[in-house]
Parts: sequence; structure tokens; C-alpha cells
Amino acid sequence: MAVAAVATQATAVRDQIAEARGRGETVRLAGRREWLDAGHPVSAARTIDLSGHTGIVEYVPGDFTLTARAGTPLGEIARATAAENQWLALDPFGSDRGSLGATVATASAGPLAHAFGTPRDQVLGIEVVTGTGDVIRAGGRVVKNVAGFDLTRLFTGSWGTLGAITEISVRLRARPAADAHLAVALPDERPAAIAMLCREAAIMRADPYALELVDARFAVRLGLPAATTLLVRLGGNATAVAAQRAAVASLGRLTELPEGVWDVMRTAEPPGSSVVRITSRPSALPSQWTAMVDAMAALPDVLVHGSVGRGTVRAIVPDAPPAALAGAVQRLARHARGFSAERLPPLVWAIADATWAERPMSGEKADSVRVRNELLRRVKDAYDPLHLLNPGIMGEAIA
Amino acid sequence: MIAPASFEKLADRLRTIVGPRGVLTHPAELLTYAADGLPTYRRRPPLAVFPASRAELVRVVQALHAEGRGFVPRGAGTGLSGGALADPDTVLIGLNRLDRILAIDAEDRLALVEPGVVNARLTKAVLPFGLHYAPDPSSQTACTIGGNVAENAGGPHCLKYGVTLNHVAAATIVLPNGELVSLGSTDGDTDDYDLLGAFVGSEGCFGIAADVTVRLTRNPEAVHTLLADFMAVEDAARAVSDIIASGIVPAALEMMDNGTIRAVEASIYAAGYPIDAAAVLLAEVDGLSAGLDEDVETISAICTARGARDVLVAGDAAARARLWQGRKKAFGAMGRVAPELVVQDAVVPRTRLPDILASVAEIAGRHQVQVCNVFHAGDGNLHPNIPYDGRDTEVVKRVHLAMREIMEACLEAGGSVTGEHGIGVDKLDYMPLAFSPESLAAMCALRGVFDPLQRANPSKVVPVRSCREWRAAPSARESIGGGGWR
Repeated sequence: MAVAAVATQATAVRDQIAEARGRGETVRLAGRREWLDAGHPVSAARTIDLSGHTGIVEYVPGDFTLTARAGTPLGEIARATAAENQWLALDPFGSDRGSLGATVATASAGPLAHAFGTPRDQVLGIEVVTGTGDVIRAGGRVVKNVAGFDLTRLFTGSWGTLGAITEISVRLRARPAADAHLAVALPDERPAAIAMLCREAAIMRADPYALELVDARFAVRLGLPAATTLLVRLGGNATAVAAQRAAVASLGRLTELPEGVWDVMRTAEPPGSSVVRITSRPSALPSQWTAMVDAMAALPDVLVHGSVGRGTVRAIVPDAPPAALAGAVQRLARHARGFSAERLPPLVWAIADATWAERPMSGEKADSVRVRNELLRRVKDAYDPLHLLNPGIMGEAIA
Repeated sequence: MIAPASFEKLADRLRTIVGPRGVLTHPAELLTYAADGLPTYRRRPPLAVFPASRAELVRVVQALHAEGRGFVPRGAGTGLSGGALADPDTVLIGLNRLDRILAIDAEDRLALVEPGVVNARLTKAVLPFGLHYAPDPSSQTACTIGGNVAENAGGPHCLKYGVTLNHVAAATIVLPNGELVSLGSTDGDTDDYDLLGAFVGSEGCFGIAADVTVRLTRNPEAVHTLLADFMAVEDAARAVSDIIASGIVPAALEMMDNGTIRAVEASIYAAGYPIDAAAVLLAEVDGLSAGLDEDVETISAICTARGARDVLVAGDAAARARLWQGRKKAFGAMGRVAPELVVQDAVVPRTRLPDILASVAEIAGRHQVQVCNVFHAGDGNLHPNIPYDGRDTEVVKRVHLAMREIMEACLEAGGSVTGEHGIGVDKLDYMPLAFSPESLAAMCALRGVFDPLQRANPSKVVPVRSCREWRAAPSARESIGGGGWR
């Protein structure tokens, strides 16, 4: 890291990228460094620091939209919107100290994604300095917009490999008039019991904001008894919340939780931890859950949680011997449906990747994967033709 | 312009793929495909081909690729932006015969469909499972899922449920060179670039969806529909802002002005809207039944506080359907007003609705055209419609001038030139007003990723000159990876 200048304007970022291009130097884009190097180490000649690029540019509460510079901490946005009884319904793991830019660049979301989706569903528009040194704007500040090709979707979740996002417009929601935060402990840990609970939760007469399964260790971390537990977040008017609470009660014995439980959950993921994620259709979640819990059983201090409605199971591994972690990850990569090494030490990642690649594939599927990889490579070439930005952060395919 | 004779050989080749009935070359037969609901643009394609299976579709695209021929994919032709029209040297690919619902997964609320499946037919098919397909364009009884995906279509209920993009999980795409690729996943979020998100709304410029996996939505337990009528358009617009600000997310929040009300009430779609009202608001709340009555009361109270003369709550499903019929058939009803109708589409931030409606009225008055507003007020998505007589060239000129000024006013207010109909050809000229040359060039680069030779729906969405500029940009020349245009 030779240079780490603080960029405060898109033009400053553009100049820094232009300078890097001139010298052929690779660039690490850094926000507030809350998640930096969390299993995605990037070695680059210079760092462009976007943490000084902060502040809310425009907030019209009546429009339920907000525009902020990329380095703005999520906490600052939460405070500003709370004053208007609104919120940005995004609760990525980590903490509110992280920046909006990093959240969008990594498309990170948390339990609220159950009802509100990920950044891909909530970002309305962006300003980006591409790897070609162009300052571009995509999307806009209105909640509905189909003008032109959707670069907003493309750049959201591109991990800074196509450009530096410098400004973001997001959709906000009204805070509900009433809410409830509930825990339902599972009577036993048998897969059948978990499957039954998930199925009932999916069809109960409630539209939860979040529906999150946590393992016994995670439950203890949240101050609950050591049992696999379903966390339910409800919101709406008082009558609606009361009725939905009754529906949740049909699942099992309820424990009332403070709203803060969700923040405890988010911050339970330490910055340096490894994270393994497996994904599936929601109906396959129970078997995926069991596979994850079994695979991680031997590792110390692992926290497992799953989004029941989205079919995602994540294991947070704060500290584990690489060999043991590699073994667990390899088992998952062999058997789980969708597999994603969200944050892993490079060596473990490589093992997981190789294991995943060994899985049999039909000829048609292999052709499709080849074409898709070619498209991904062309995207990279189009916006960062010199391959200078965040090299390697998205793996081998997009080096 | 290429003489139709040059298409005879191509037609023969395509007939070997799709059979003799799958290719149209007679000018009279092709007239059907010369418009897409927008009267200002008519282009008769030289040839139309209708594959009936995925294999046929792939072979058709491969054949066109081999011949170096551009093509335009077309669903039901209800896009309203000229996007589905083929130039004299491009082939039109009709997807209506690819109309099978391939699979329904009720437990995970997914359906795998071919692109030609009609939107409303899908909803009907999944009704027995207590599910529906949420995006509901006004044309839903005709428009197709493939067309919806290409346009990222919206509809009244997108206010609560989101647009097409939010309901597409995966798709198999035939790229313009005939290669097949699967994008997205039914197994949860992918970690790569969101190519599926980029494809949705690409207006047929990135390829053709051979199949689409859409998300289905649980039917609401209860639905309440209200009609509030106002003596001033501004009051109705302020009521919209207040309802949104209250935190209630209505399933739909639609507004119709007096011109629209009169057209509807004079037609066979009469819905019982008071014809002396300056505007009516059609609001719907849905979901779990508990708590919904409170939302109805809150919305009623807001409308009354903003000066609504009357707030009517539909008592049953039939009454609800009648209120909606007027809204959904408003465009048809305007057919009575004049021979032609431009259905326009633009967006403003919701707090700017009162200002923009005043601007639209002022612009219409100045250009002596009638504007009927019927629109998705809840998300600021305007549909200013101008009924006119296309035989009068002077009138046509004024219609164009008024439309342009309305678009400029929406951009000025911080909005967009389209919320759900797309750019097509109709709005190409506005793109440089909305985006910088660099931004347009970046869009061209994305097109180049999917379609380096620009054969799919050529010359639509982004002005061609922007792409030429991007090709000449120094950054492209320096590209060590060879650029994205091979």
C-alpha cells in the first residue's frame, strides 16, 4: 500500500484512478474498513480511501428516498431517517459503522432481506467512477425507473471490481407503528422437527419482516436458552402485529425479545471471521441446515443461522484451525445445493472451489457456465479493461 | 432499405426450422406487427418468424446470426414505446407460440414459463395454489411474461409488490449469437455480477429469454378498495403524498383526472366515477385481514382532510372489480375521444406530483392538446395521455412538442422519462437529456457484453451515436483485454 489518499469527490476518485491507470498500478478500494480483508485479501499497489467521502446529499422524507456519499456510515443514515420515523431496511452482518458504499458494493443484507430484499432491491441509483476513469450515473432518485440499461444492478454487488461507487440513492420505508420481536424455541433438534417448523412458519398467517433460524450457540449469544430457535420480527399497525403474534404463537412457546436483539445478532459476526454460506430453495432449507450444523459441529465457536424464507444458511467461524475448516467446507461443497465461500482464508477457499468444480455437470450446464463466465469476463473488460480494481476479490473468474 | 426479395432465401431457410406456417412474408399479414400500441410509430417488418419450441428459437437465432441479420423479439406488442418494431432490414421474432407453463412449484412459490405465456394466464394457472404473479400491467390480459421481462414492466400493484425485476429468479437466455446461457438461480443469491438484473429491462437488446423462472406471491387474505373524489387535482395529489407519508403501503394508489373520468364513464367500461370530479383516487390495501380496517380508516381520513367530497369503500368483489375496470380499461375508453392516443410514461419524486400536474396542464393548454392523466400516483409514475387526430399534421406536431416539454419538466423535477414502458424508439431523443455521454457510453458497453455485433433490437434504447463515441473513447483503445466488443 504505497498511497492511501482520502478521496472526497468523484473527481478526486477519477483523478486517482487516472493516475493509477497511467502507472499501470493495481488499486484497492477501501471504505471504512469494517469488512476490509475479511477473507477477501487484495494485494494492490495503492489504496483509494473512500471513507472521507461522507454525508447525506439529499433527503426528502416525503419521497422516501435518500442520497448519500458512499463513505457515509449506515449508522448516520439510520439516525437521520429515524428522526423522520423512517428507515433504510438493510441490516447487513457486521455493524452500523460500515459504510453504505461497502454495503452496496458487496450487496450485503441481513435478516430484513426476508421482507425487503437486498441492496439490489433497494438501490435506486448510483454514481460510479469506472475503471476506465469515467464518472457515470445510473438509475436515479425515483422509486420507479426503466430508462436505459440497468447499470445500477450490475454495479451493486460487483465488489469494487468495475468501479468505485461514490454516491448512492436508496429507497426508504416508514417505521411501522408497532412491532414485535419474538423467539420460538424448538422442542428438539431432529431434522424432522426443524422441517416441520419451517413449513409451518412459511404458511402461517403472518407477513414477518424477518424469519431467522439460529443454532443453540447463537441462541445463547442472544441471551436465550441453548436450543435451535426461530426468531421472528413483526411490524405493522397494532392490530396487525397482535394478530400476527398470535399466529406465531401457534408455532410454539414465545419469548419476547427487545428490538436490540437484531443488533446483537449482526455484531456477533466479528470482522475477521470466516463465513460459509449455502443457498437453496426455501423448501430445501431444513436439509441444508442439518448439513451445515453437522459439517461445523467439530469447529469451536461457530454460529449458524438461516433465513427461512430465502433458503440461505450461513456459518460464522470466528477462529478455526485452517485444516479443520477446510475439511468442513469441503464436505459442504460436496453436498450442499448452492455453495458460496463468503469469506474464507484463500487456501480454504481454493479447496472449496476445487471441490465444487468437481461436481458432475451436464453438457448443457457446462456450456452455459462457460458462456456465463465469458459474459462475466467481458463485463470486467468493459469497465476495468486494465484489470486494476480490487484484483482477485471475486475469485479466479474475475481476476 | 433492402428489397423484400432479399428476404426470400432467408424465409426459405427459416421455414425449414419452424415449418411453413411459422414464417410470414406477405405485407398484409405483417401489418399486425407494424405497431406496438403507440400510434406515433409504425414500421412493417419485412419478415416475421414464430418458433414454437426452445430448439426452434435457438436455431432461428443461429440462422440469423449466420446470415448477419438483425432481429427484434416481440411478445404481445403492447409495449407502448416502439421497442418491438422491426426496421426494414431486421427480422421480427414473434414469441407467442412459446406459451407453455413448464412447471409450478407451489411450495417455493416459483413458476417456470416460456416467454409467450400471457401474464394474466399465469396468475389464473396458479390460483388453485392460492398464489398469483404480482406485476400487473394494464395490458395483463394480452402482454407476455417475456415482454414483461424485456421491459421490466410495472403495473398498479407494483407500489407494494415491486416491479418485474423483483419477481424474476432466473432465466435461460438465447444470446444474439445463438448461444444459450442460464442467468440467476432458484437456489438463492449468486455472488457474481448480476447479469440477470442487467438482462431484465434490456428491451430485447441483450438476447431472448427462452424460459423464465418467476416468483409467485401469496394471495392476500383480504382486499379493500376505496374511491375518493376531489374537486381539485392538487388536493388529490396532496392526499397521495399524505397516504405515503403515513407509512401505509397501499397495494395500489391510482389517480385519474377529469378527462379520464369522462372518457371512462362515457364508455362501456363505466365504473361509476363521478363525472364532475376533478380527480379520483383509487386506493387498495391488501394482506392479512387483521389491521386492514384501520388502514382503510386512515386513508379515508387523509382523503377527507384533503378535501375529498366522498370516499367510497367497495363492499364486495364485484364492486371492487367495477372500480378497477375503469382504471384498467381507461386507455381503451380514451379511444372514444379521438382516433389516436399517445399513452405516455414518466416519473417524478412523489412530493413533486402537485407541481408536475400543474405543469402538465399548463403545457397542454399552451399547445392546445388535451391531456388525460391516469397514473400510478403512489410511486410518482405519470401516464399523461394525449388523444388526437393523426390525420392533422399540425396537431401531430403539437402533440410531439407537448410530450417533449412534459418529459423535460419531469426530468427538471428530478424524475425519469420512463417508469415502466421503456425507451424503445419513442424516447431515444430524451436519453441525452437524462444521462451524460459517459453514462450512455457505459450503457452501450453493457450492450456490447451481450451483443457485441448489435444485432438484437438494433438502434433502440441508447442513441447509436453514443455507442460510436464510446467505441472511440481512449479507454477502449487502450484495453488490454481486447475490450468488451469482440
